Amino acid sequence: MTQNHTKRPPIRQFGFVKFSFFLSLGLILFSWVFVIKVDGADLFALFSEKNLHSAIGFLKNMFGVGVENPAFTDAESWQNALYLTFKTLEMSIMAIGFAAIGMLFTVVPAARNAADGSLTLSRNWYGRLVFLIVRGIYVFTRAIPELIWAMMIIFIFQPGILPGAIALALHNFGILGKLCAEVIEDLDTRPIRGLASSGASKAQMLIYGVIPTVLPRFITYILYRWEVIIRTTIVVGFVGAGGLGRQFKLSMSFFHYTEITLFLICYIGLVVVADLVSAGLRKGAE
Amino acid sequence: MMRKLLYFHKKNVLTLFLVLVFILSLFSVNWGPELLHAGGLNALQEMVAALFHPDLSPYILQLALIASVRTLAYAVTGMSIAVLIALIFGVLASGLLSSGRWNRLLSMSGFRGLLGFMRAIHELVWAWLFVVAFGLTPYAAIFAIAIHYGGILGRIFADMLNDVPPEPIQALKASGASRFQLLLYGYFPAAAADILSYVMYRFECAIRSSAIMSFVGLGGLGYQIHLSLTDLKYDQVWTFLLFLIALVVLVDLWSQFLRKRMVA
Repeated sequence: MTQNHTKRPPIRQFGFVKFSFFLSLGLILFSWVFVIKVDGADLFALFSEKNLHSAIGFLKNMFGVGVENPAFTDAESWQNALYLTFKTLEMSIMAIGFAAIGMLFTVVPAARNAADGSLTLSRNWYGRLVFLIVRGIYVFTRAIPELIWAMMIIFIFQPGILPGAIALALHNFGILGKLCAEVIEDLDTRPIRGLASSGASKAQMLIYGVIPTVLPRFITYILYRWEVIIRTTIVVGFVGAGGLGRQFKLSMSFFHYTEITLFLICYIGLVVVADLVSAGLRKGAE
Repeated sequence: MMRKLLYFHKKNVLTLFLVLVFILSLFSVNWGPELLHAGGLNALQEMVAALFHPDLSPYILQLALIASVRTLAYAVTGMSIAVLIALIFGVLASGLLSSGRWNRLLSMSGFRGLLGFMRAIHELVWAWLFVVAFGLTPYAAIFAIAIHYGGILGRIFADMLNDVPPEPIQALKASGASRFQLLLYGYFPAAAADILSYVMYRFECAIRSSAIMSFVGLGGLGYQIHLSLTDLKYDQVWTFLLFLIALVVLVDLWSQFLRKRMVA
């Protein structure tokens, strides 16, 4: 921050940071007013006697108080839940695999330095166009949440883990694409220019110049997104995409709350194990 | 040389292992035409066709606008609580305020564990549990976003506070600042830019989360998308989705500009 105001154009006097600050304040105020006035959300009604009663009842049911044969002490339920957890794991691996394959095929033209020719020292007329199209697809797939992708894909595929995997893959394809394109943009271009000036072909530059440097970063991002996907698998299951989420929804509809507890235990276990595995593998990648 | 070779080897083994795991996972699906619905390909065709002809009638546009405002409002209110939670829990999880080694360890592990639990459960699952417990109210969505994102932000805040370079802090300490003063004048100003840009990034995610809260019966863009999908009106679905995309892109642009100004 310089104190020299005379050098700045007059519009910056107000400052974008200050503008953002007031905009956020306005947004927060507006949103609370909207929620309370338009949607009639009443915080105190939330803690009415009736609500508290039902909330306590729900918690009691979840912990199996006064429930005959709660699901989390039943061997058969455990077996079923663990099988579903395994299916969920398979779905997440498939999803990140699809997303990574899609990303690898599109990421090079999506990097700004590859598109304008500064990476490979060769420019062509369609580079800019392909860049815009691929980046547009990234924004599009990324902006739509997994659950909504799943809601649509379930119209095409039979319920199962495949539609869930595709829905998760579509959303994460956009995110991985953006993250990995930025890795290529931040690349040290000198070795690649060296290859280019010594007459390497485009494919050779990719194999010997780009891939070895970016691969560790790519793997880090892929593993990181895999962790996120594990958390989201339960949600795409809600709309019929198989795994833990589907049974979670069924148990909710049948008021089998002890099963909910069991599924949540398996789900949190899966998330924690996935975090540990991913952290370990990421250490290996760096 | 040998060590370098081994290092290279290790990286390749990891890549190979990941590819292998992916291929193994493919065997869990019975590949065949029965994976698709009878009219699945038709539905796909209609969806793609509708993408190029979204329903832009005034009624739908008006619906979409109100739904967008509602989605934005839930996201903003949820995030405003999430940031408060994250600031308090983040400071406690960073262990900067506690004195003594054991106190510090206890505070760090306890609050890090709590934050981990808060973010391990997806916001939609939180929302569902709240709806079952408290009934259908916007607070279910707001608290769900607040808890999940509070967990994410709190952990990152704690990490950022712990990563602040020690020299300015030591200077403050030498001039006799208390722990609280250290936090206020040392740690927070140093981490402010990182914290802000991370909050903006998560705000973008919160908008998406708030859009899917319809699944448990709350209003917003997701609710409209759900209704249009059950009516098989794909052209309306795309209109609502375009509004959602626009909302997300706007926030993304805002945060990009802000980050540039903050860093510069």
